[in-house]
Amino acid sequence: MEKYKNIPNFKTPENYFEDFEVRLFSKIAEESFPKTAGFKIPKQYFENLDSKILKEVAASERTGKVISLFSRKYFGYASAIAASLVIGFTVFNTKSNTISLDSLQLAAIDTYIEEGNLNLDLYDVTSYIENEDIVNINLDTKYATDNSLKEYLLENIDTETLINEQ
Amino acid sequence: MVEERELVTALQTEAEKESAFRELVTQYKERLYWQIRNMVLDHDDADDVLQNTFIKIFRNINSFKGESKLHTWMYRIAANESITFLNKKAKRNNVSIDNVKNNAVRKLETDVYFEGDELQLQFQKAIATLPDRQRLIFTMKYFEDHTFEELSEILETSVGGLKSSYHIAVKKITEFIKNQDETL
Repeated sequence: MEKYKNIPNFKTPENYFEDFEVRLFSKIAEESFPKTAGFKIPKQYFENLDSKILKEVAASERTGKVISLFSRKYFGYASAIAASLVIGFTVFNTKSNTISLDSLQLAAIDTYIEEGNLNLDLYDVTSYIENEDIVNINLDTKYATDNSLKEYLLENIDTETLINEQ
Repeated sequence: MVEERELVTALQTEAEKESAFRELVTQYKERLYWQIRNMVLDHDDADDVLQNTFIKIFRNINSFKGESKLHTWMYRIAANESITFLNKKAKRNNVSIDNVKNNAVRKLETDVYFEGDELQLQFQKAIATLPDRQRLIFTMKYFEDHTFEELSEILETSVGGLKSSYHIAVKKITEFIKNQDETL
């Protein structure tokens, strides 16, 4: 190809020409997309929202203070121990035909956790765990079999994003 | 509008926290609402998730280290809360997450808070077919007009990865709408 003469010393962003076609065809496709989603909101929703949110935050803070029984340091350990006990009792008691009050209570805890009500959120848990706690955690990986890990990854990872990250 | 840095300082000062939080809610409620609504579709669900988002922000503001901008951090919380909400809904109803999304789109047809035409409905159906993360990337870029650089900070993903994901999403949506048109 003939070398161009007198080209000014301009630069382009990285991969500009390589990505150009993809960007262009996306822009063309977007021309036929609706510009808005079509959602409406109730009248006065945003005007009334501030006080509603502040009330909810205040209520959650009050609830949070009453329920918190564990000191910050031991919250992570307590959660891990509670989960292990539930799993352990469930595994060892599957063949039992007699229903006791203890097993009913444990079954209720089990169901509570399975239904996502424990609500152990990453932000909440990490605010209680110190760095030394993380270093000292002894993970029991015998329940994390290869098959269960594969299943989890297949159901929860967005493979296209992973591929595009490479 | 209060400068972000001043706002963070006030939010992390006990005496000023409440009034600073009011200011925060006033400044960001609409942007966060629409980001969430574009993911969960239903107004009442968006309202719930928005409140959870602000509760989370309030509870965790003292651990905000300023490594990202405040609004970046808040958008990230809103994004995570939206996806958590959908996953919990699926688990509670013992159905798949795809089922939850398809039901949400189907409900739009009779939803009083949806005034879209047929094309907008098809558009939402198409968006609902995307994997969660891709759907998040698409809706945040297309409807809320974030730049890829902003999205990269919010979602902690490379700009290149986001661009690829976005363009693939556009292609899938185009194909979906085209197939729907051909079926009719």
